[in-house]
Amino acid sequence: MAMDDKRGYRSGLVDLRAGEVSREIFVNEHIYAEEQERIFARAWLHVGHESQIPKPGDYFVSSMGEESVILCRDRAGKIHVFLNSCRHRGMKVCRYDQGTTAVFTCPYHGWSYGTDGRLVGVPYFREAYHSRLDKEKWGLVEVAQMHNYKGSIWATWDPAAPGFTEYLGDFTRYLDLQLDGWDGREGQAEVLGGIQKWLVPCNWKFPAENFSGDTYHNISHRSVDLAGIGPSGAGRRDMGERDVSRKLHVCIPDRGHQTIHYVLPAGKSPPPAYLNAPIVAEYVRHCEEERRRLRGEEARLVGAPGEIFPNTALLSRQPRTMAVWHPRSPHQTECWRWFFVDRDAPTEVKHFLRDYYIRYSGPAGMTEQDDMENWNYAHAASRGTIARRYPYNYDQGSGTAVTNYEYQGLRVPGEVIDLTETQSSEQPMRNFYRRWAEFMEADDWSRLATWRGGERKAAE
Amino acid sequence: MSAINVRDLAPGTSIVLADGAEAEIVTNPGDGMWLFARYLSSPRDPTLVGQEEMIFAPDVVALGR
Ligand code: FES
Ligand SMILES: [Fe+2]
Repeated sequence: MAMDDKRGYRSGLVDLRAGEVSREIFVNEHIYAEEQERIFARAWLHVGHESQIPKPGDYFVSSMGEESVILCRDRAGKIHVFLNSCRHRGMKVCRYDQGTTAVFTCPYHGWSYGTDGRLVGVPYFREAYHSRLDKEKWGLVEVAQMHNYKGSIWATWDPAAPGFTEYLGDFTRYLDLQLDGWDGREGQAEVLGGIQKWLVPCNWKFPAENFSGDTYHNISHRSVDLAGIGPSGAGRRDMGERDVSRKLHVCIPDRGHQTIHYVLPAGKSPPPAYLNAPIVAEYVRHCEEERRRLRGEEARLVGAPGEIFPNTALLSRQPRTMAVWHPRSPHQTECWRWFFVDRDAPTEVKHFLRDYYIRYSGPAGMTEQDDMENWNYAHAASRGTIARRYPYNYDQGSGTAVTNYEYQGLRVPGEVIDLTETQSSEQPMRNFYRRWAEFMEADDWSRLATWRGGERKAAE
Repeated sequence: MSAINVRDLAPGTSIVLADGAEAEIVTNPGDGMWLFARYLSSPRDPTLVGQEEMIFAPDVVALGR
């Protein structure tokens, strides 16, 4: 192992001053094992959406890091997230992807748990345990904290983690763009169809940094741009609103969240979109008008790919999806993609969007296939003894971010780089790996909640 | 006697248990292992009558009347 303990993560493996990150953090098995403990057991992770479990007894089996979890609604309607592992010998108590149930019965010896996690059935409880087993103590393991944010369900195993909205910090508005209605009403999103799941032979940080805001890799999507898979028959998405906007990289320091972001000029409505489907075009036009009415200046914000630390990707516009990059090994990631629509949208609009979204994203999506190929081969070509001696370069745009960005009266919090002229920067990746290093170094949340002290250590 | 597939039993069905008790199915979770049932009689412990309990499949030895 080439890791040098004395230099630490920040100055050794993640050297932001030099703009270098060691390949070891992507391919090294020890570092991967440490990530499970220090990142995935402590951070807030996305589990699912309440529209997936509308009725009492509904469940959806999800993942938090490597571990299987059950998102379910109990008989009283309360939402829970449990470790999907029997307390007796660890058997997976729920082996379906989703469904409705009265109890989760373990197939191994038959212990049975209510949808509230309580151990309710123990074979031969009277005879073999002499009624002495403390059932209260042996219920399913529940997450330390759970938060329902506008319908999206988040959880953490760490009781000391800050609350979810504090964890998000100034990134809230970008998650809002994902979950609020296109017409500006709060929390109107519902999950469209099933969840797409697939494996990519790469480290989970490849997709995580890509969705953090890799505008530089646009060239690798040249073929879909040429094919014109977009909803107006050209490019891979409608570019009108982007062409008239300021194009930004926005990073929330301390939190490790970052995104690409567009800001329309004051008083400017987005140009027409979805021209291949008049009913969708009209729906979107109407929503934009409503959003302007409800939200005022805020309606100038236009979402684009972003990443909530560590492994949840947002894309609130075209296509409107969220993804989670589940670590499965240093060399394998299980990608899950949720597609969203406004729940009140007309059926024809939902159908058209579904077709477009899966043409773009997911394992069969033409754009996402380009990305997977890059992550797959970049990872494979970084694993060798020789290859891993050479760090990756993250120097693009170093030292050019500002913290007081404002465009025509609209202030954008965070560290911002205006890309309208420069096209690209790697500030989002530096922000992501800076936070990654902090998680890997800090012993507990008192060190990780760097914002509470009012000052942060300069890492760059 | 062959084993009874508890998955097939509908609520309202009465069942005879290994200790001679009789019970009526309230809910069938469909897992093939458990039934929620209410005791109709219980020679071993008469206080159980009227109570609802989870019944483990191997304890169901026959169908009642
Ligand atoms: S492992 Fe679940 S009952 Fe034994
Ligand atoms: Fe891409």
